[in-house]
Amino acid sequence: MQSFFRFLYELIGTPQPPADTPVYRQIVFPNIGLLNLGISLALVIIFYYLINRAMGVATFNKLRHWTLFLVLNALIAFIVVVWQAKAQQVTDHSYIYWLATLNAVYGLLFYFLFSVILRKGSTNASTTPF
Amino acid sequence: MQRTPFSRLLPGLLAAVLLLPGCYSRDDLKSDAGNNKAAETTEASPDKAPAAAPSPEADPSSTTAATGSLKQVNVFLEVSGSMEGFMPKTGADAQNTRFQQHVAQFLSDVNRSASVQRKTFYRIKEKPYRDSYQQLETTVREGIREPASSTSIPAILDTLVSHYYQPNAVNVLISDFIYAPRNAGAVPYIKTDITDALNAAGRSDLAVSVYGHTSDFKGAFYPAMKTAAKRINRCCDTDIPYYVWVIGPADAVRRFDAALLKKAPGEQAHFGVKYSAAPSSLLNKFQNQGAWYYGEKDASKRAAGATYHTVAVSEVSAQQPVEFVLGMNLQALPALYQDLGHLKANLQLTGQDTDAKIVSVFGATDQTRASSGPEAQYTHFVKIRVTKMGKAARPLQVILQDKRPMWITQWTTKNDSNINQVGAKTFALSSLIDGVAAVTTDEQDQAPIFQIPLTLQPAD
Repeated sequence: MQSFFRFLYELIGTPQPPADTPVYRQIVFPNIGLLNLGISLALVIIFYYLINRAMGVATFNKLRHWTLFLVLNALIAFIVVVWQAKAQQVTDHSYIYWLATLNAVYGLLFYFLFSVILRKGSTNASTTPF
Repeated sequence: MQRTPFSRLLPGLLAAVLLLPGCYSRDDLKSDAGNNKAAETTEASPDKAPAAAPSPEADPSSTTAATGSLKQVNVFLEVSGSMEGFMPKTGADAQNTRFQQHVAQFLSDVNRSASVQRKTFYRIKEKPYRDSYQQLETTVREGIREPASSTSIPAILDTLVSHYYQPNAVNVLISDFIYAPRNAGAVPYIKTDITDALNAAGRSDLAVSVYGHTSDFKGAFYPAMKTAAKRINRCCDTDIPYYVWVIGPADAVRRFDAALLKKAPGEQAHFGVKYSAAPSSLLNKFQNQGAWYYGEKDASKRAAGATYHTVAVSEVSAQQPVEFVLGMNLQALPALYQDLGHLKANLQLTGQDTDAKIVSVFGATDQTRASSGPEAQYTHFVKIRVTKMGKAARPLQVILQDKRPMWITQWTTKNDSNINQVGAKTFALSSLIDGVAAVTTDEQDQAPIFQIPLTLQPAD
């Protein structure tokens, strides 16, 4: 698990400053990775299964509604990293924002993948985004 | 997410955990077997609990050994004629020497010290005579009443190690340590004489701390080399050295040094004294440079008080050198080993497959002491630079070798017959010291004062 997230997040280079490497690899990467997966899944479930099935809302199944959740998810993924960096007391460095941006991109990706997998189970939005 | 609030609670939690065994012990479980031990345990627990409570705040257990008091100290003051110049009889001008001021203060410190249970004082004439503190203090202040004829240094040392040597006790000898061999032909045997004297009783844990001082001198000076004159009257225009030797078992000497001679002025040297390992850690956010991090598995936990000794280097080259700082707390060591000059000259770095070297050695500043980082705990810092390293983990060691301090050679003279020209030097001092070193150190395998093992490894 650790090595998977390490691979994922070290595509943009090793953590900076190097002194914080152990904290990033063993704590920050797994935390933000798992949170990102979990939150993406939760938003997809809310969109397809809560709003567009259980609650039966008929006016929230368009592409723009799906995109709204997509952007929301990316934003949360970004904030999660900044918050984690603060919580783990790593040294302030521009790397934190690069990592946050990367995590936002992964957020977009995870949200899209979960959508593709889970959209069939929705009654009102089974054809969103396509 | 997992750490911050929890770590703040940690000290409290620790205290709670330490309290628990006091309240509920295994003996309670055993009471099932029919003993009435349970009653004892519950009675004992209220006493135990408060005792356990302050322990998390106190220093690690090592300090208890350091603070335990010594059983006895015997202070010996040589009062032969050659010492008269240090302790001139107070005349109308009422001048006194620095020897008198220093030794009077030292005797008072010893007498007052809480770290020694029993203090005894002796005058050394032909043999030691028991004095009270007041008597000896008076001798120092008002001068020697009846100077003894010269007593030879080896004879005194022999007596001290044979008859006054006890576990957990030290002997302190204050003398000018001018050892006049019988004739010029005996000069090369000074070292052997001292070695034999100290070895007379075959003490295996013998240690000696030597403190060198100088004082003005007002009286007759008896040189060891009597080529010019047997005595130099109305001496001296120069200062004359005198010494305080602390002789005893290694552990007792170390503790006496720490308790009473920590802030001793003048020079010092230590022989055969063993010191416990100095606390040390790498510092990853203090003057560090290049791509390296703590290589320890649990480095990410950043536990309070954790120390690190592994450097994991992800990238290093001549263009991108790695620099790291090792913090050391040398507070428990004598002043000599805390002296930056001595450390700079004698700290060594040994490693394999690497060009790692010590760039600088520096002491704590107000800035480091006031820092919230781990550097605040350390008194000395060693900065190490690496531009080349092996392909796998290799040991790297910071060692303080047991090198004799420079002052011993500088304070030595081969001929003191004309002491005013020679200056503040002692006849054959380095030979005396050679004699001490021969007894206290194993010449084949010289143990360093301390060594701090580090590991230098490529990042995984």
